[in-house]
Amino acid sequence: MADWDFINSQPPKIREALKYYVETGDLYVASKISGLTIEEFNELRIRARIPNVD
Amino acid sequence: MSTKRRIGIADTCFLIDWARYRDKDILFKIFDLVFISETVLREIKSDLTISWVASKLAENKLALYTETDDEIEEARRLVLLSREIPHMISIDLPEALCLVVGRRKGFIVLTENKGAIMATEVFEEYKDVIVWRALEVLLTAHLERKIDIDCKNPLKHFRGYQEDTLHIFSNKDLDEVRKRIEKEICR
Repeated sequence: MADWDFINSQPPKIREALKYYVETGDLYVASKISGLTIEEFNELRIRARIPNVD
Repeated sequence: MSTKRRIGIADTCFLIDWARYRDKDILFKIFDLVFISETVLREIKSDLTISWVASKLAENKLALYTETDDEIEEARRLVLLSREIPHMISIDLPEALCLVVGRRKGFIVLTENKGAIMATEVFEEYKDVIVWRALEVLLTAHLERKIDIDCKNPLKHFRGYQEDTLHIFSNKDLDEVRKRIEKEICR
């Protein structure tokens, strides 16, 4: 479901943060890796079509 | 009849998803007041969320919570503890702070963090802390009849939340809430 073309087209910090989120679901640490706020990172997560799965 | 006010404290992961939800003001039909920390406020950037948060702060439906040094210290200890237990989903400082404040003040903790939920099962000191995710908030809105309920489609609002936030509830959770709504509301 995730848009890997979108993920792989991102700058390295963002790309790796998105991959980290896919693996762990940890929004807080992923946002720190990306250098974005949690909300900014969450917007990217949605644009990358990465679901937050319970 | 109880007149106790229902007060929550929300962490960032809950609030930023909730702010995208079309019926987000339902939160204030369930809670008399929801605290957000200064840390949470620093994490929100979008016009939509800032506008909603600012208006609710002005209406005294949201309120700013400033943690004490002592609360931050307890939260740091909780973070370290969560890292020391094998197979425990670790928690980070923001949700640890919510748990600490929830425990000390009796507030309901609003978070989507799985580690925070697990902490109330693992650590005796936090076993009485009530943690709600969006799922429990929506379920409470149904059970307390604070939302229009379509008994032909009892998961309508849960599906709407998923569409707005790309936050996907587990089938098991959805099945359980459907059964509760059908049993307690749609008899």
